[in-house]
Amino acid sequence: MRLDFGGLDPVSLQRISSADAGFDLPCNPIGSAPSFHLPAVADLDGFEKAAVDMVKPLHGTTTLAFVFKEGVIVAADSRASMGNYISSQNVKKILEINPYLLGTMAGGAADCQFWQRNLGTRCRLHELGNKRRISVTGASKLLANTLYSYRGMGLSMGTMIAGWDETGPGLYYVDSEGGRVKGKRFSVGSGSTYAYGVLDSGYRWDMTVEEAVELARRSIYHATFRDGASGGVASVYYVGPDGWKKISGDDVGELHYKYYPVSEAAAEQEVVMKEASSAS
Amino acid sequence: MSITSYNGSALVAMIGKNCFAIASDRRLGVNFQTIATDYQRIFQIHDRLYIGLSGLGTDVQTLYQRLKFRHKLYQLREERNMRPETFASLVSAMLYEKRFGPYFCEPIIAGLSEENVPFICTTDLIGAKQFSSDFVVSGTASESLYGACESMYKPDLEPEDLFEVISQALLSSVDRDCISGWGGIVYIVTPEQVITKTLKGRTD
Repeated sequence: MRLDFGGLDPVSLQRISSADAGFDLPCNPIGSAPSFHLPAVADLDGFEKAAVDMVKPLHGTTTLAFVFKEGVIVAADSRASMGNYISSQNVKKILEINPYLLGTMAGGAADCQFWQRNLGTRCRLHELGNKRRISVTGASKLLANTLYSYRGMGLSMGTMIAGWDETGPGLYYVDSEGGRVKGKRFSVGSGSTYAYGVLDSGYRWDMTVEEAVELARRSIYHATFRDGASGGVASVYYVGPDGWKKISGDDVGELHYKYYPVSEAAAEQEVVMKEASSAS
Repeated sequence: MSITSYNGSALVAMIGKNCFAIASDRRLGVNFQTIATDYQRIFQIHDRLYIGLSGLGTDVQTLYQRLKFRHKLYQLREERNMRPETFASLVSAMLYEKRFGPYFCEPIIAGLSEENVPFICTTDLIGAKQFSSDFVVSGTASESLYGACESMYKPDLEPEDLFEVISQALLSSVDRDCISGWGGIVYIVTPEQVITKTLKGRTD
């Protein structure tokens, strides 16, 4: 098998060849790691530290994924917040890397979108070069190695890679510090603690697909209820032996009144009649 | 995060035909975490005068208690209720007393005068009064509220229409703010009655 060590090369050793000098974009021959121009400042570390804060618009989020008997469930909310302002209620936080691999988005949106698309490209190249699909282990390792080589440069990503390969369902958590952890249940984002509460108490290995989907939906709903930075639409995907399938996308505002309907007994309108002035 | 956006709030008051409406959201949070979904921000001073307080929750409660105290003393001494303009001056003076260590509140005063003329006014956290003949807004969602009110408001609305306009303005603005929302409460005050309505909103 041809092994791709490109991701292990530190960024500083990647030079732009004179043939590409005319390009502004990090376009290189397909398959090699993109090379980025570094800013020509005296204090690169200080500059990158200051730049990190600019890059964190999608900080508020709730994403979760868990493995169970029938496969993997991946769920996320859809709110993007810039400080207290809600910039969008309609962000796709579950990224479709290829028909049997899913990635989630938390942290910097651009970072997640770019590097997971890059991961999709390299997974396809692996398939072409090795005549078989890449495993979830391999795909997550490719991403983790890439992110590790940019460690300290200010990328911000907390992503989960979920998929189904020959060994069955697989789930990894990969982040921009270079960490990569295999597991059965993860939740990432500002609303993750609320989601864990519901997810951990309702989880069983031998759930049916419907029960698992409902557990994921409820967990995201409860996180959006308590966390101000999560909201919008609760999307749920299921990854099975034939690849992933989007199961549902429910607006959490409507989910609230479905789970906790308002009883009509409470008076909606109180008419308080004024008494005549008490004293003149 | 700034101290005035620690708890999150949204308040709006509008003038209609011989009536006024004052509305607020119902969330109390600690930064992004939601603690309460039935928090009271609008208080009655007397049956034709309401005050809504946005900003830090503890100052909302303390300021209301102090203002209620001062108004009760006024009632004992003057043997009548305060006029809305007078109450606005009282609020302004009390806030300026704390000029160098202020209450982190931006109140909205809304009342009906003896001649049934509606009156609304807002002040900043150190007491600068700002009167208005159409609407006033306050809270973390205030920028969205300005936009919504400016486009939806029409003068001389009847109480039912005023309720619709103020509710839509409030709900659409808090839907763009992470730290306010979870429904709303609206008080419509006319010379004959006070109508209280609770709004169902998004809970995310």
